[in-house]
Order: sequence, then C-alpha cells, then structure tokens
Amino acid sequence: MKVRNTPQGAVTRRAALQLGLGSIVAATAFGAGARIVIAQEGQVLKAINPAFSQDWSPLRGGGVPFRWNSVWNASAMYFNEKGEIQPYVLTEWTPSADFASWTFKVNPAATFADGSPITAADVKGSWELSAMPATKNQRVDQVLGNVAGYAAVKDGAGTDISGIVAGEDGTLTVTLTGPDPIFFQRLANHIAPVVKVSVARGADGNEVPDFFMAANGATSGPFMLDSANLDTGELVWLPNPNFFGTKPVLARIELTAVEDNVTATQMLASGEYQAHTELVTSTIAQDLGAEFAAGPEIPTSQHFWFNAARAPMDDPKVREALILAVDREGLIKASFPDGPHKKTDMVINAVPGADDAAFVPFPHDPERAKALLAESTYGGPDKLPKLLFVGISSPANEAAAQYIAEQWRQHLGITAVDMKPQQDQYAGPDQNAVQIFRDDVGTRVPDAASYLNGSIGSGSGNAQGKMGGYKNDKVDALIAEALSKPSDDAARVALAQEAQRLFRDDYMFIPWYKQTMSRWANANVAGMEKNLDWQIVAPWAISIA
Amino acid sequence: MLAYVLRRLLLWIPSVILVMLGVYALAFYGAGDPIKLIFLRAPGDVAYDPSKIEAIRDQAGLNRPFLVQFGSYMLNLVQGNFGNSLTSGRSVWGMVSAAAPVSLMLGLCAIVVTAVVAIPLGMIAGMNQNSRLDYTILGTAVTLWAIPAYVAGPLLMVILLVFLPKGSVPYGWGGVFSVKIILPLIVLSFQPIALILRQTRAAVIEVMNEDYVRTARAKGVPEHVVALRHILRPVLTPVVTQLGLIMITIVNGAIFVELVFGLPGLGRLTVSALTNSDFPVILAITLIGSFLVMASNLLVDLLYPLLDPRAADQKEAR
Repeated sequence: MKVRNTPQGAVTRRAALQLGLGSIVAATAFGAGARIVIAQEGQVLKAINPAFSQDWSPLRGGGVPFRWNSVWNASAMYFNEKGEIQPYVLTEWTPSADFASWTFKVNPAATFADGSPITAADVKGSWELSAMPATKNQRVDQVLGNVAGYAAVKDGAGTDISGIVAGEDGTLTVTLTGPDPIFFQRLANHIAPVVKVSVARGADGNEVPDFFMAANGATSGPFMLDSANLDTGELVWLPNPNFFGTKPVLARIELTAVEDNVTATQMLASGEYQAHTELVTSTIAQDLGAEFAAGPEIPTSQHFWFNAARAPMDDPKVREALILAVDREGLIKASFPDGPHKKTDMVINAVPGADDAAFVPFPHDPERAKALLAESTYGGPDKLPKLLFVGISSPANEAAAQYIAEQWRQHLGITAVDMKPQQDQYAGPDQNAVQIFRDDVGTRVPDAASYLNGSIGSGSGNAQGKMGGYKNDKVDALIAEALSKPSDDAARVALAQEAQRLFRDDYMFIPWYKQTMSRWANANVAGMEKNLDWQIVAPWAISIA
Repeated sequence: MLAYVLRRLLLWIPSVILVMLGVYALAFYGAGDPIKLIFLRAPGDVAYDPSKIEAIRDQAGLNRPFLVQFGSYMLNLVQGNFGNSLTSGRSVWGMVSAAAPVSLMLGLCAIVVTAVVAIPLGMIAGMNQNSRLDYTILGTAVTLWAIPAYVAGPLLMVILLVFLPKGSVPYGWGGVFSVKIILPLIVLSFQPIALILRQTRAAVIEVMNEDYVRTARAKGVPEHVVALRHILRPVLTPVVTQLGLIMITIVNGAIFVELVFGLPGLGRLTVSALTNSDFPVILAITLIGSFLVMASNLLVDLLYPLLDPRAADQKEAR
C-alpha cells in the first residue's frame, strides 16, 4: 500500500492538475459561449476605406477620415438629410439685433466619452484648437472666419480667440467681425467638433498626439475609436457608453483600407463588406445597385472653371465658344450614365433659390460657337494655344474631360488639348499655363448667398485661383447685399439669384453636375444617410438587416 | 571577412549621403509643397489661405534655407531621429519600421519561391534543350513574363472574390505563415521565375558544353551527379547575383501588389509619401532602399566563395 505523505488539507498534485484542466475547459467553454453571445447580440458594420489614412485626428476638417467624424464626435449642431438644423452640443442660439454677436447655450446633458460634462470652455477650446495652424484644419475658416480674434490664431500669432467668451453657466458668446445672419448655420457641421480640451490641448495650445483614442475619453460622439492600426489600415469603433444622445444600435464598426476600387467593388458586391467611405466610379450603379449610391442632393456641384487670366480664356468670345460647343446632356451621359449625380446648369444647387426660373442655361449651339471662335482675337482653332485641363483625377473626370475635348474637336476643330490630375504634373511653363480646372464648389449651409460667395465672389479661393482672379463688381455687390439679409428674408435668395445670372453672362465655366451625397452602403444597411456636411446624419441609428 | 564587411559599410556612407542630398534637393526645389498640397488637393470648398500656410510652414521649419534644413535633418538622423511626417505628424521611424519588415518578408519569400521553382525548371529545360519539355517550360515562362503584376493582381483578386465563399478571400497582411501571403507571392514571383528560369537554362546549356562536364560523363558519373555537382554549381553564381537584384526590386517596388492585396509595405508607403511630397518619409525610404542594395550586394559577395571556391582565392589575392 502506498502511503501519501501529503499534509492533511493540502492540495495534491493530481488535484492541482485536475483543477487546472477543469479551469482550462471551463474558460474555453465560457469563451466560446461568450463569443457566440457577442456574435448574436452585436451588429458589426464592416466598411472599406479607400486609403491607408495616416492621420485620424477629428480636427483636420478634411481628407478621407473626415467623412467618419460624426460617428465618433459630437458637433455644435448638425443638419439632417433634409437640410434642417438640429441641436447637439449647443441647444439654443440667439443673435443680437445687428447679427454681429451670438449667444449659445451648451446642452447640460452633454458629456465626453469619459463621462465628464462638456462645458462652454470645451467648445471654445475646441474651436481654438481647430484654428491653430499646426492643427492644419482645412475648412475651419468656413466655421470661424467671421469671428473676432480668429485671424490672429490661424496665423500663429496667438492661442486665444478673443471674440469667444465661455461662461461658467454654459453660455457661449461669440462676437463677429461684422453682421452674419446665418452664423449659427456655419457651426452646424463636423469641421471643428467638440473635444475635451484638458486632454486634447497641450500647454503650447497645440494638439496632443493621439488624444482622440478611446482610452483618453476625450471625444463625444456615439462611438469611440477603440483601436487604429495605421500601418495595416484597420480601425475599430465601439459604442460610447457615456454618449448623451440615442444609444447606438451597432456593437462595432470595423474599417479596413482597400485602395483598389475594383477589389473594393467586388468585396462590397460579395457582401464581405457593407459600406464604403467614398467610392466614385462611373459604373457604381451597375456594379452595386442604385441603392448603394443613392442619397440626397447636397449643395455641392462640379464644373470646369476657366482661368480668364490665361490665353486664350482672356477672350470672352473664346470662352463662350468653348461652352456652347459642348452638349452637356451628352457630357453627363458620358460620365455618369446611370447616376447618381445629375446634370446641372448653374452654380448653386440644393439650396433655397436653386430653382431660378429666370436663369437661362447655356445652350448647345455648335454653329454659334464656331462663329464666335472665328470672331475672336484668335480667329479660329489654329492659333489657339494648347488647352490644358487639371483635376482630371478619376475615371468619371476623365470621361467628362475627354468628352469635352471631343466636342471641341468635332465642332470647333480644336485638337491641341491635354489633361492631368494635378497642376504640378505639367512640366515647365505649362504648369502656369493651365486654363481649365475641374473642381467642385459648395457650401455647408443651405444658403444661396454663402454658396456664391464661396465660389464666384472675388474673395473666394475659386475666383482667385481657378478663375484667375475673377472679379465682377456687380456680382460682388449683389452677394454682399444678399449676405447682409436675414436667412428668412426673401431678398437674400433673390439677390443671390441675380448675382448668379450676371455671372452666367461672363462665360466662366462649363456646368457639369450637381452632387448626390451617396450612402455608399449596401441595401441591407439602414441609417447611412448623409447630409450636406458629408457626414452620416444619425450614426446611432445605423443597423444591418 | 569582418574587415571586408566593415570596408563595404564605410564605402556605403558617402554614397548614401550623396543620394540623400540629391533626394532632399529634389523635394526642396521640386513642385510639390507638402503643406500647400494638404489644402490644394482637397475638394473645392477648402480655404486656401496663404498666411495660414506660411504659419504652418514656419512652425514646421520649412522656411529655413536649404542647407540649414538638410544639415538639421542629417544631424537628427545621426542621432537616430528620422523626424515626423509632414502630412500626418507620425514618427517616420514608426511608419518605416512597420512597413519595411512586411516588404522584406514578402521579398524573401518571393525569392525563395523563385529559386525553388525557377532553378530546377531551368536545369530541366537546359538539360533537355529543344525538346518538347523544354519548349513547354520556356513557353510557360514567357507567358508568365508577359503578365505584369498590375494585371495579374487585380485579375486574380476579382476571380477569387467571385468564386470563393464570403469572408475567405485573402486580403491584407497576416505574416509569412498566413494563407494571405499566397496570392501576393504568386503575383510577385511571376516575372522573377521567368527571368531566373531563362537565365538558368541559358547557363546550363553553356556549362553542358564545358570539357569537365564531358569528362565526367565519359567517366560514367551518373547523370544526376553530373547535374548537381558539375553543372549546378557554376550555374548558381550568376543566378544568385540576379536573385539579389530581384530581391531589391521586390522589396522597394512591389507597389501594385501591395496596393491590390492591401499589404502595408514599403511600396505603398512610397506611393503615399511621393503623392504628398512628404519628404521626411521619402528620405527614410531612400535610406532603407540604399541600405538594402548595399546589404544585398554584400550578401551576394559573401555567397560567392561558397558557390565557387575560386572567388575566395581571388578575394584573398586582392
């Protein structure tokens, strides 16, 4: 008989082994069970990003990552898909009598992901942080451009925007450099979202790297950025347990970088992925169904702009001839035969005033175009300098530019045409001779006057750059007068329409299409509708059937 | 041996400084300003504000004279600081050290696949010159040669996506032992296999006419011994040189394959850095590329004496 010399009450080796084995089996069973529960309870949205984006700070105001801002960041206010303003972090707004000063009220229930309350100081600090040059926010001018003290901060001469005063009682007072009746609308976007300033802003006033990761709890949207592997292009968002709005339906959002459009299209068609950040192909409707690319029209439109400072665009007759020679019905069929975008005749779209019955679209009149070219200082196609396009950076852009070039060849006999994606891809003097720029113009507010001010007003980047310093004093005066009118004043729209009609007669662009803000999601995904800010309107409502 | 390696390393330093100077000058005086591009390449409603752009350039130190910037960069580099990306703000070393192993592992695997497939097939083709087998092997090699990676990659991907069940399509990087590496390897190896196969075949045909091979056969040495001992060894010397060159090309330039199969390697990083004129990243990639060229040549040099003892004698004689 074998005698064990184990003290009474001590655990034997066999018992320890049995216990260990039992624990492993139990843990495995529990883990498997838990996985099953997670799989059953949580809906996971798998989306594709078209780039290995290296910078996911929500404060950049542009780039591919910006399209996901509303998923994990709360903004001051936002527009729904119908263009109606909605309260969010800010719930009330009151202008002064002259519209030069505004008072806002912070939502007392608003919290960051770490559960701490959002204060007026956080809103002010977030805007200042977005304005700092080192933040490199691409569009913060659209939000804060009229605010007193903004200019000094964006030029690196300060860290404090003097025109914004944060009160202890949750009020925020903003003083503008001049009257702006629609200033409240300029805040309703995710260009400068609200972040926890004590975490996001360093002692020098600049952004703290990676402040936006979930562990820091410094963001405030319905989801939190749980992990971001920038080298493999994989990001994961989880629901924010302290979100102050509606609880999200999804249990997880996974974003994977797939740069090749063909591969991405196939992955979406197979159902392996359900959504895309931004997929632009000419055959999107045929490949993935009309539902995938469907969406509301937004106040953004794409056109081919003429630089009137460069030959031969310095001759108005040449410009008119080039416009009248193009059949624009054919242009849209060549570029988006099945949608989702639609032909447009004018600059402004999807804003009150875009239905201007008095606006006369450019006709397709090859005979008149030919005559105009003959009457021009160039006398005909032979003496025209080579026509150079830039911004031809996607298959749809290419199809459109090629179509235009072919129309010019057929109707005007112009054969010297070249096109490149970027201006710096032209060599030598050609870089400074480019006359035609394909680009979009638009606005983040449903307002015709702002739309025109940012696209044809002489102070706009579009007029100064792409149109070669375009300036029509009458157009400027009408826009300025329109901007001074209250948003509900009918004169605001009427003046903007008149400005657009005058601009039309300067023959500065070939109108192309008005943009649809596509869902870029398979039909079984609900709640992916986007707004004029290119954001998902209600990320908390995204669900998968 | 150690002295030889050290001498090679020392010779590499001045050449890499010259290369870096050239690349820095191209980035500095070239058309693409990384800060302006952030704003210029975004869609139309971006505010292009020159004073703000100048403020950003000032803060990034980009308004300093060329030599000051280059000197400062090199000084930091000597201290192991590769700087930060101008567009994303990320540590360049972090970006490059994450991408380089992927490309290196992919390149090494492709070389192994190439050597394992191409050398034996080249031997068989060469030893059966002008036979049906030779024509079949050579014909296949020429066909593979004619399919560029940017055609083979998307084509294979689409075929797999159409025919494989949902969720099983290999995409992304899962390491050397993951099934995800199979497809990129096939695509990457197409052209090198054809190249090495043809080179092996030509070398085999040349060596087979050598006196020592004829003598060995006359002495009744079995054919497989003739092939492995008397033909293969001299054939390997030029083939290994070629493999070294192919390795560098794959590591530095597997752009399309990395793009199509979602591999986070140096090729993809290069494209992104060039597009954004992000010159700290471009310079780091240049440095790594230059080091790989040097290391690969060194490795080939060290392999020569193992393959051909006469090379060791020559080296000692020098």
